[in-house]
Amino acid sequence: MSSETQQDKQVESAVEAGRQRRGGLHRLDVSATVGRPVVKLVLGVTLTFLMLPVFVTLIASFGTTWTGTLPRGFVNLENWRTVLGLAEGPGVRDGVITGLGYSAGLATAGMLVNIVVGVPIAYSLVRYDFFAKDIVNTLAILPIVPGVVLAVAFLRMYPEQGGSTLGLIVGYALLKSPFMILTVQSSLQSMNLQRVEESARSLGASWTRTFLTVIVPNARSGIVAGCIITWTLAAAEFNFTYMVHSAGPRPFSLFLYQNISRAPVLQGAAAVSVYFLIVTAVILILQTTGKAGFTTVERK
Amino acid sequence: MAEVTLDSITKRYREETAVEGIDLTVRDGEVLGVIGPSGCGKTTLLRTIAGFETPTEGRVRFDGEDVTHVPPENRNVGLVFQSYSLFDNMSVRRNVAFGLKMQGVGRSKRRARADELLALLGIEDQAEKSPQQLSGGQQQRVGLARALAIEPRILLLDEPMTGLDAKLKRRLETEIGSLLDELGVTGLYVTHDQEEAMVMCDRLAVLDDGQIQQVGTPAEIYERPETGFVADFVGTSNSLSATVRNGEIDLGFTTYDGNGLPETTDGTVIVRPEDVSVGDGDVEAVVRDRFYLGERVRARVELPDGTGLTVDLDPSTDGAAVGDTVQVAFETEGLHVIT
Repeated sequence: MSSETQQDKQVESAVEAGRQRRGGLHRLDVSATVGRPVVKLVLGVTLTFLMLPVFVTLIASFGTTWTGTLPRGFVNLENWRTVLGLAEGPGVRDGVITGLGYSAGLATAGMLVNIVVGVPIAYSLVRYDFFAKDIVNTLAILPIVPGVVLAVAFLRMYPEQGGSTLGLIVGYALLKSPFMILTVQSSLQSMNLQRVEESARSLGASWTRTFLTVIVPNARSGIVAGCIITWTLAAAEFNFTYMVHSAGPRPFSLFLYQNISRAPVLQGAAAVSVYFLIVTAVILILQTTGKAGFTTVERK
Repeated sequence: MAEVTLDSITKRYREETAVEGIDLTVRDGEVLGVIGPSGCGKTTLLRTIAGFETPTEGRVRFDGEDVTHVPPENRNVGLVFQSYSLFDNMSVRRNVAFGLKMQGVGRSKRRARADELLALLGIEDQAEKSPQQLSGGQQQRVGLARALAIEPRILLLDEPMTGLDAKLKRRLETEIGSLLDELGVTGLYVTHDQEEAMVMCDRLAVLDDGQIQQVGTPAEIYERPETGFVADFVGTSNSLSATVRNGEIDLGFTTYDGNGLPETTDGTVIVRPEDVSVGDGDVEAVVRDRFYLGERVRARVELPDGTGLTVDLDPSTDGAAVGDTVQVAFETEGLHVIT
């Protein structure tokens, strides 16, 4: 409505005039000259502090020695070859790449379990009032317990499933489920679920259709965030894996552990770099599919 | 569009009764307003028609057909809420076309229909936007277009104007009111705002404490309220205790011709402020308070027996200051007796 827009503009100019009368422009100046640069500086320092070790590690993994602050002797691919099991000699293990793929598969499966189970749980916690809701809410967050605790319970409860692929998937899904439930819950809380749902149903959509075409797409940001967190944490989960894993390809966290604790520094650097590269790739993939998968613009 | 009938609907939640024994008909093509204070059960009635509540007792009929146990998605009702409840993951056009998609209407057809409705509501230029980019008034138009798109048997509006600023609200009322009239929409309009209901609705049902107090045209409700509650809830009114005997209304301090009224010793006379003339009359009253309202001045006056009365003064007269004594008289046609 053009007259509404006009009204908005009038309001804006009135607000602006008020600001000027109250000397607000002066305050704005202070904010522009001092406030923003300070925020930028703090952000820059923090990011550098966090990112620098990762980058130096990545660079060092291609070096020959790292005795002082900076590594030397570039470019040396030996560390990567050793870590990935492509070299020959002492300390080189077979099947590393298979293990990495296996591990990525485990984390992905755990993440999918969390989507299927976690989204409905988060939905019912936000949408409905039911008996023992508080208890369910608490139980949903409880799996944040350390992996060691869950692993012990797991091995006692299902001794024959302990070391299996299924055991690892279920364990990862359970341990990381609170992150999916919490993020989805918070994105659902921002909408009036009941009203939106009732509107869709009155327009002829069944409950299932409403859930899949209206509720889930609106919870997209929470689901994508939940996927990223559950995947990344599951891939690096050491305690649970260390205790439960018995045979088969070596998962990610054990690969990291072996290359860091019982190997030269630069080999560790290469292993850590492998982890970061994979995680970065996965985050990018999840974000892209997250956006594309829920696209809502009508194609012409 | 359809005629919607509620047959002695009662809804109880555990011990609490939301509505009791409601008999109500929304005639084909009319917009029926349901007004009442919050918690009176008006939203329960709306949700019962939509199918989100199953009545504890009674039947809901659309054109005589019993739909009491038909799920909401199969009832073909249009819903418009206060909180718009648009689908933020879809463009405005897709919101409006959603219901048609559910009905299996082809893409080009539903696009055309959506655009037609958006044009009808004057927001065709917003079709590609996300609902979040629109103003409150525009969102409400999209909500209405979306509900109308499925050509519902009845359009249910639940406080649709609440939350909009007063000026926009007044404009939308007349605009939407005449649009619904033009389209011949059967509608149920739930609101706590009686003024809004009077503008938008052909008939009104006043609800209090889960029960219908009165059903009638806005004029009937305003001019001839049947209960003290209706008189009090709709507009401003004065209630005076009265006796009707031998064709005379006896107010204690004065009497009026009460021809044709049922005799009672314990009646209440309802009189609207505009039906009390101030200036010359046979009753003396003292002005206690006056409020300037622009087109009129509303005043509180006190009768000789201590009864307070709300009256309207002509703003052009400077007389009748606080403390002054004035003469008041009641317009006989404005007197209405509740027994």
